Amino acid sequence: MRYLTLYKYFLRFSFTKAMEFRLDFFFRIVMDIIYYAVNILFFHVIYLHTPMLAGWTQDQMIIFIAGYLLCDALNMTIFSNNVWWLPQFINRGDLDYYLIRPVSPLFFLSLREFAANSFVNLFVAIGFFIYALTQYQTPFEWYQLTFYLLMLFNGVLLQFCIQLLFVLPTFWIQSQRGLLDFFYAISFAGERPDRIYKGIVRILFTYVVPLSLIASYPARLFMDPFDSWTLIQFIGITIVFWGIVLTIWKKGLRSYSSASS
Amino acid sequence: MKGLASVISMEFRKILAYRSDFWVTFIGQTLIQLIVARSLWQSIFESNQVESMQGFDLNMITLYYLLVPIGTRILAGQNIGFLSREIYDGTFTRYLIYPVNVFVYKSTTYLTHSLFYCFQLFFIYLIYQIIFGGMTFHPEQLFLGVLIFFVASICYMFLCMMVELIALWADNVWTLMVMLKFFVTFFGGGIIPMDFFPLWSQKILALTPFPYLISLPVKTMMGLMPLNESITGIGVLIVWSCIFLGMLQLLWSKGQKSYTGVGI
Repeated sequence: MRYLTLYKYFLRFSFTKAMEFRLDFFFRIVMDIIYYAVNILFFHVIYLHTPMLAGWTQDQMIIFIAGYLLCDALNMTIFSNNVWWLPQFINRGDLDYYLIRPVSPLFFLSLREFAANSFVNLFVAIGFFIYALTQYQTPFEWYQLTFYLLMLFNGVLLQFCIQLLFVLPTFWIQSQRGLLDFFYAISFAGERPDRIYKGIVRILFTYVVPLSLIASYPARLFMDPFDSWTLIQFIGITIVFWGIVLTIWKKGLRSYSSASS
Repeated sequence: MKGLASVISMEFRKILAYRSDFWVTFIGQTLIQLIVARSLWQSIFESNQVESMQGFDLNMITLYYLLVPIGTRILAGQNIGFLSREIYDGTFTRYLIYPVNVFVYKSTTYLTHSLFYCFQLFFIYLIYQIIFGGMTFHPEQLFLGVLIFFVASICYMFLCMMVELIALWADNVWTLMVMLKFFVTFFGGGIIPMDFFPLWSQKILALTPFPYLISLPVKTMMGLMPLNESITGIGVLIVWSCIFLGMLQLLWSKGQKSYTGVGI
């Protein structure tokens, strides 16, 4: 309850801050919409030259795109800004201010900034998701949709965990950005359907850095016959990754010297 | 001239200051883009049961996606915020006492980065040779491609400076720069080769600077562009550069009256 109240204050503060820079707020909304448009256009251009991609027709692909745009919007709204600043706090020694507060520092640092502009774009992503469902030719049951949404939310949490795993090495390496740039480069792989990957690359993006589990596998779970075992595995993997994050976070805090570099 | 040589030397040192960051990002980004693009196009070729599409076979498309990330880096030079950040925090004022014009200084630092990334192109060719081999090496294509990239980076620099100068009126222009990057990357053929775009859109885009910024130099390096078209492309880039430079001067003459130097 205490954490919920605190999160309410985070929200209030974030919206107030966003409204102070209204032009920037507006620009950020437009920027995200252009990002969505570029992604949609990319697949549209590809489907001008092929009827199928990775075993999916265009309307199936739109379901996948809508899924990952929804994941992206949620991640951008809730976590992304916070993860962006975390390596700098560690590197400059600003983490001290968060360690002395009577709340979990990981909670505070992960959720303190709510991206108000991305929240607006979340509605755009939801709108596109609904459009994708209306374009989808195959009939589906409501429970399939519910599980798809549940899996996408699980994907957002998994993405957050993976992102943190690229940031936490900042405790040991002298870098202002951690491996965040590398994460942004690699996360691009999750924006493509998993079936295009083969061999070791497929293993890499499914088990080692499970970017395919964020949006691609959930889309498959929605379109293929439902498999409860896969669903359980998804959630299990997210829990394992969260456990790894917590372990490294604790080890990192023990190594944290507070002095800026 | 001696002063500018010092600026170039200083910028080279800055680029190499965080070497591990630099190489991890460079190799990581390049390899990931390559793996994803090759997997995607392999899947497309297999779906259509063809060995080439729009004049690209799998090896050519791989080379295309190897050259694009580094080409985009050459274009982007010093990256987002090279003017706007200093306008925003007020440190832009220091250029008033520098013994060189602010735009000459900024252009030098920007183009030093571009030049550095030009050297990386040779690594790209090397990686390609090691992994796939068999590619015929054409130094004249490589030279012309790099030259076009460098001219393109001057053109893009003026365009970026225009957008960055908007910071004289608006608080934050980072988002505008990201939008510009999206446009240039997509409409310049950085995400998908322009040959795959519908013909009508290719004709419209030919009237903009976008195809000359990425697609033209990359295709020149790959030997997919006739020499006369490459030369014409350089001419088009120079014309666009002049237009952007004129607009930049206009913007600066109006904008400097708004600059307070207070900062955040």
